[in-house]
Amino acid sequence: MIDKIFSNLTRFSALLILVIVAWIFVELYNQSLEAIHAFGFDFITKDEWAPNLEKFGAYSAIFGSVASTFLAMLFAIPVAIGVAIFLSEIAHDKIKGFFGVSVELLAAIPSVIYGMWGLFYFVPIIRDLFGGMGIGLLSAGIVLSIMILPFMAAVTRDAMNTTPDILKESAYALGGTQWDVIKDVIIPYARAGIIGSIILALGRAIGETMAVTFVMGNVHKLPKSITDPATSIPVTLANEFAEADGSLYFSSLFELALILLVMSFVVISIAKFYFLRKERRGV
Amino acid sequence: MASIIDIKDECALQVRDFEFTYKGADAPSLKKVTMPIAKNSITALIGPSGCGKTTLLRAFNRMHDLYPGNAYKGEIEFEGRNILDPKEDLIHLRTKIGMIFQKPTAFPMSIFDNVAYGMRLQGIKNKTELNDRVEKALKDAAIWKEVSDRLKNDANGLSGGQQQRLCIARAIAVEPEVLLFDEPTSALDPISTQGIEKLVIELKEKVSIIIVTHNMQQAARVSDYTGFMYLGELIELGHTEELFVTPKEKLTQEYITGKFG
Amino acid sequence: MTAVQKRVLVNKIILALSTLSAVVAIAFLFWILGVLVMKGVGALNWNIFIYEGAPPGYAESGLKHALVGQAILVGLATVIGVPLGILAGTYLSEYGKNSKLAHLIRDISDIMMSAPSIVIGAFVYAVVVMPMGHFSAWAGSIALAIIMIPIILRTTDDMLQLVPGTLREAAFALGAPKYKVIMDVVYRGAKAGILTGVLLGIARVGGETAPLLFTSFNDNFFTTNLNDAMPSLTVTMFNYAISPYADWQQLGWAAAFILSMFILGLNIVGRLILYFGKGK
Repeated sequence: MIDKIFSNLTRFSALLILVIVAWIFVELYNQSLEAIHAFGFDFITKDEWAPNLEKFGAYSAIFGSVASTFLAMLFAIPVAIGVAIFLSEIAHDKIKGFFGVSVELLAAIPSVIYGMWGLFYFVPIIRDLFGGMGIGLLSAGIVLSIMILPFMAAVTRDAMNTTPDILKESAYALGGTQWDVIKDVIIPYARAGIIGSIILALGRAIGETMAVTFVMGNVHKLPKSITDPATSIPVTLANEFAEADGSLYFSSLFELALILLVMSFVVISIAKFYFLRKERRGV
Repeated sequence: MASIIDIKDECALQVRDFEFTYKGADAPSLKKVTMPIAKNSITALIGPSGCGKTTLLRAFNRMHDLYPGNAYKGEIEFEGRNILDPKEDLIHLRTKIGMIFQKPTAFPMSIFDNVAYGMRLQGIKNKTELNDRVEKALKDAAIWKEVSDRLKNDANGLSGGQQQRLCIARAIAVEPEVLLFDEPTSALDPISTQGIEKLVIELKEKVSIIIVTHNMQQAARVSDYTGFMYLGELIELGHTEELFVTPKEKLTQEYITGKFG
Repeated sequence: MTAVQKRVLVNKIILALSTLSAVVAIAFLFWILGVLVMKGVGALNWNIFIYEGAPPGYAESGLKHALVGQAILVGLATVIGVPLGILAGTYLSEYGKNSKLAHLIRDISDIMMSAPSIVIGAFVYAVVVMPMGHFSAWAGSIALAIIMIPIILRTTDDMLQLVPGTLREAAFALGAPKYKVIMDVVYRGAKAGILTGVLLGIARVGGETAPLLFTSFNDNFFTTNLNDAMPSLTVTMFNYAISPYADWQQLGWAAAFILSMFILGLNIVGRLILYFGKGK
């Protein structure tokens, strides 16, 4: 009797997560309907965002999300791979432990703190170097890359560490250098894991709100250069949701949220199911 | 006191008073090992697990250097120099002393590229030379017939026994002087094991071979000399027949008759 | 130069670059930590814990409201999220095992762990804030709980699976019903792991800002009313940081410091528990 209740309780809890996720999609879709009917595809192709005129086009926000994420990836990927190589192949045990734990703890620091640091310490540097306000796409990309770096480095290192020692030793036994072993054995062996880790980090970066909200500017206009202020989907939501009025305005924001959710769901799914499926070859 | 025979023939390696201590360990794992390794013959190392036979084997190509903090003492002479010298060029050493591991270790690349890998590391780019030497290595490793029509295929598609022979081809392609085998058949079925043993015997014409095995029958079948190790010491080194039939040390006798191990 | 010498040189260059990137990355990150400590410690004083929010320029202003609000929001989210997460993880490990449903739930949870938290905020706005007609602590906690459940679920699932099957069998062999086996044997065996999962889950949602922006919203004053908008450290930090007032920005840094120490502390404690739990 208690056995039955307990097992049903666990099953109910497990199913709840599916219900919530489905509900999130359905609810966001329902809330977006008004905007979908009003603008159709124009919503994602037009960049006019004028709440006072009840005109909403998300192109600049989508563009900003993609562009800031792209910039972040551009900066973060080489450094993260470098850090991962350092952690898995170069550093000696003590340094490895210290750096490894630092990287993991830094990945745990709330993104709002990265954003705050970016606003007070990094934006002025960009302002001095490039002129303008300092707030904009470039700052957002760099702050985002710094925020995502520890996570990306940690998961890339984990992927590299799946390479069996004996395989690496075989390459050393043929007279390979560390770099030979890295490029010929570790990277080919762990390729799927490394790509998956990077895409997973991308999936996180695209939905990241607080690291960029401080430094992006929330301007619904296509930036002419990378130092211009811009906006992204999360930045728009963070800045406007609490203050929106009018049902069409709200509906448009919900459609933005839905687009963001679908984008990150797709990216994360590709990473998880295509690249990070846990099937390991023998050896 | 250990009983080590004098080897009259030319030696490939000479181990003298060799001690090895793993990082952080209080006591050395190998104690004062002195051992000649005869040229163009097969020397087997046997002994219970933990006796130090694999540790000794991995010292010959300085594999222990991959993990910092390990300490060598004594001397291993190869080609007239002490290879334990900190200034020893490990890349060169490892092309001269190759190694085969407990499990097949095909790299994630094609069959051809696996065999060509060591040569490419040495800077051989000439296509004809690579083709010829890959073919020769595969023939010498007795796997050419099975793979000649699919050299471009992923090496991981081969069976375990084929992969192990591929690894042997990869190792002999760079024309080493010495080959180290670390329990090369422990992951293989009996038929593949037989194939590898036959191959090892054929190879001694070209290289000197040291093989670590947990299987006494295997040592008896393939080797010319056998060394018995126990608790980090070389107890006895002798001609294989003599060591198995008339061991000089009591410990050796107890081990080969199955009293412990 | 021979091919081998070239290889050795390339190797040295690459290893140097890789080490350099590690140093650069760590330097940036320590810069951030350094700023956090300098600014944060500089702004710390007892007033922060005694006074609630005040208009800019008031000497008697503090973070009491946000600290208490944060504790309530995260506490409530923990009360909702942890039991559900543990029960769901129990289902996956002990009942669902390798069934398709169990794998689907694992996959969806994995995705949710990386999904944008601001979207959860939008969802909770639609299903809690809109029907209620106003922001509330409930809404904020529900949003945080939704973020927390997948984390707890996955760690519970992983940790329970580490408990050896023979232990379960031994308990069954004594005639114990399944729920008893789970309660007395499996949970006990995985205690350290589950606790770590809970701590890491709390640390994760404790740093969330985005899902609170339009659920619990914010308030500059002390409140314990769950039906009211409620301040949190994170949203307060955000509002204060983007304000033009130096004293508010100071408080923002203090909040950032307190929050980071809390989260890093939870992470470290969680790891230590796992480390020492394994040792036994």
